[in-house]
Amino acid sequence: MLTRLYGGHVVDPVNGVDGVGDLYFEDGRIVAPPEGRSADVEHDVSGHIVMAGAIDIHSHIAGGGVNTARLLLPEAHRAHRPRPANTPLSTAGWSTFETGRLYAQMGYTTVIEPAVSPHHALHAHLELADIPIIDKGFLTVLGNEDFLLSAFRDGATQDSVVDYIGATLEATRAIGVKCVNAGGVDAFKQNIRHFSLDDVVPEYGLSSREIFQTLQRAVNATKIRHPLHLHMNNLGLPGNVETALATIDSAQGLPLHLAHVQFYAYGTEGKNGFSSAAARFAEKINANKNVTVDVGQVMFADIVTISSDVMKQFNSLPGGRPKKGVIFDGDSNGLGVVPYSYRVSDFFNAVQWAAGLELFLLVDDPMQVFFTTDHPNGAPFTTYPEVFALLMSADKRAQYCSRLPADVLELTNLPALKREYSFYEIATMTRAAPRKLYGFEDRGQLGAGSVADIAVYKPQKDKAAMFRSAAYVFKDGNLVVRDGKVSHYTKGRTLRVRPEYDRKINSRLDKYYDGLYGLPRSMFEVQDAALPNADAFAEVPCRS
Amino acid sequence: MSNATLDGKSISSEDAYEKAAEILQAANFPLVAGLGADVAGAQAAILLAERLRGAFDHLASRDSLADLEVVRSAGIFVTTPNEARVRADLVLLVGPGLTGYWPAIFDRLALDKETVHGGKTKRRVLWVGAKRGEAKIEGVEVETIPATEAELPGVLAALRARVGGRPVTLPAAAAKKLDAAAEALKSARFGVAVWSAAGLDSLMVEMLQGMITELNATTRFTGVPIGGRGNATGVLQTSAWMTGFPPRTGFGRGYPEHDTWRFEASRLVESGEADAALWISAYSGEAPPWEDVDIPLITLGPPGSAPKHGLFIAVGKPGENYDAVEFAQETSSMVLRRASAPAGLPTVAEAIAAISAKFSEDLPC
Repeated sequence: MLTRLYGGHVVDPVNGVDGVGDLYFEDGRIVAPPEGRSADVEHDVSGHIVMAGAIDIHSHIAGGGVNTARLLLPEAHRAHRPRPANTPLSTAGWSTFETGRLYAQMGYTTVIEPAVSPHHALHAHLELADIPIIDKGFLTVLGNEDFLLSAFRDGATQDSVVDYIGATLEATRAIGVKCVNAGGVDAFKQNIRHFSLDDVVPEYGLSSREIFQTLQRAVNATKIRHPLHLHMNNLGLPGNVETALATIDSAQGLPLHLAHVQFYAYGTEGKNGFSSAAARFAEKINANKNVTVDVGQVMFADIVTISSDVMKQFNSLPGGRPKKGVIFDGDSNGLGVVPYSYRVSDFFNAVQWAAGLELFLLVDDPMQVFFTTDHPNGAPFTTYPEVFALLMSADKRAQYCSRLPADVLELTNLPALKREYSFYEIATMTRAAPRKLYGFEDRGQLGAGSVADIAVYKPQKDKAAMFRSAAYVFKDGNLVVRDGKVSHYTKGRTLRVRPEYDRKINSRLDKYYDGLYGLPRSMFEVQDAALPNADAFAEVPCRS
Repeated sequence: MSNATLDGKSISSEDAYEKAAEILQAANFPLVAGLGADVAGAQAAILLAERLRGAFDHLASRDSLADLEVVRSAGIFVTTPNEARVRADLVLLVGPGLTGYWPAIFDRLALDKETVHGGKTKRRVLWVGAKRGEAKIEGVEVETIPATEAELPGVLAALRARVGGRPVTLPAAAAKKLDAAAEALKSARFGVAVWSAAGLDSLMVEMLQGMITELNATTRFTGVPIGGRGNATGVLQTSAWMTGFPPRTGFGRGYPEHDTWRFEASRLVESGEADAALWISAYSGEAPPWEDVDIPLITLGPPGSAPKHGLFIAVGKPGENYDAVEFAQETSSMVLRRASAPAGLPTVAEAIAAISAKFSEDLPC
């Protein structure tokens, strides 16, 4: 069935398109305008903006962390609407089902969960399989496990580390590698409470810097497209911009992705010893093209922080809002879940909010800065439309600024920044740049051959309203959203990578598991028989 | 031979599914309970409860909720058996009967072996409130802190007080023993408390976790909970991602509502609020907890567990008769259990699908 969207303003940065034109798709793929055939279905989208489906590169949507947060905060997600017919579990407040529905309604069609401990991969896949409509994938978390740290300490060859990463990606069916507070999670188990770039993990004699650098080189050598995704040390602490700048200086000229950098954009100026250092940070990012960042924007809302940086989460417990939390020392990994509430009247929260927007506005190239709230850590993903509106309007930012504590405005450059994002830049940041960051060949653009994941928005004065309710969303060519409401539920794919590696590593790993845990390693592998839809996987190609 | 019975008499599977669908569809507020099932079975059961606008509960909810009440009111420190095995230089066993709840506990935690990470040392093992004669572990010197079941809450409170340096009113000998234990806990590098909520109540778990929080002011201390029977933790997790809530959740108003009192299975049946029940106990064939109530009942259980009354449909044992995903105590994670003795019996999910296939079309899907 050939479908034609006609008359819309197509915004497709990958192909340099920014103007009125028609779009054709058939059998789930975008096709070139066919000659001598008329479309079977036509949609008049004149006056609308047409983009590829949006891609979220970092959002905690599935796995043990999110599920713990659900159980920790039953008061936070009461449902309140009766269920319409024919949509099972469509009314649960915070569920896998709701995650797919709400993302789709905003025109998002691919979302990456950024932190899954290898031993909890199956749980994450079970949740992902239950999220309707969107495609998804996850990053597996490495860099605090004894196997790897011992290998680094003992001077293992890069090839053997590459094999280990390959085997782990295979066993967990992940799309890339994340490293969280490199070495710090292990150090916390040894009662270390603060861990910076040059602090050394006891027993291994490795600094955080050495760990992430060695891992960064090895990830690069696997030929997977996504560079090491790094959660740096000292998240949230005053003056931590120094850590961030030093990390960029240590990036070896190789690709490196720094996660939720707003949480590292802090100086120590002012009477509270806490200020925005976003300007310095942005300058550094602009000067280092091998580095990409996502912002982790804070919005004023009740949230819950979910992080594998268990040291940081433990230190956050006393400030929890409400004061409760889960601290999990996992297998060679960690997890902390602590609720919080960002308040416009809170000096620190207001600085955080401003610092995030400064980063968005001061990083020149929207290919280098990614749109995230580190859902749900900075804000729920449902606040994205409001953040888009803030990026697109200096007036709207001024309105917000008028509500901030006066002393905050003295410690940020935000009021002076008049830049306003265009639709083209928004599309670059949420479509073209994620496509490049994850090495997707089949999405993030509207050229022929791409999957027909398409979001159509009706321009309005209220940009937030426009992005909150897409006029049409097509997933694999199926109309799934009409006028901001899901009209048709589909099952998405789970995206993974499968780099080449020497399978000899498997017998070494089997022995290691047997010796250390007295358990077969296969217990932790994600196997087809465990999955409700084992054929839902799609492979993202590696570099050749 | 058919694997289904009605009031103890064999009937065909087809008739059984038909009859089950009739019972459930005729009910105003059906209950899906037991839920002793693998993840796929639990998913099917919860979807069924929603479709019927009924409620669901798990047979070991009491135990899951004893821990969960602490999580959601105060918070919790937890680790995995693996991490305890390689790292715990001190293990505090809490309450009687732990091997009953987790037979492999001592072997899995390798209490008789040295730690591997964080330094290689022999472990100290303390047991508070062990049953008489129970605190004997081969190759391990167990230090006991005696407490009967009735005394256990008070002893835990006193231990926590001494960890925090607060006074207790105990005879000198008892206080001295507690002080020594408190000192041991505080000098642990990575201490791990192990408990089963099945043997404690929420306040005791909260007391224990409060103590762990205080210990973390100066050292590292955490816990390993022993989960409830019948894949209670796996079903809890599944329920959470599907509905946002743990079991004891109802859909009567068309959206999930969680209430630990309102949607408790026995209360729903005994009060007459539920007017039909699907009881699932695929692991063990455990019978429903309610008594002397004549409610239309469908039971899914392993062969041989048919009750005298009501409709029974035999299903396989998860992980034994069919490949199944469940929460593993030994790893604190979801795992695939390969069938060790495959049998031609339906899985829980298949049985529910077969029942659902017999619903008339006016029921939403």
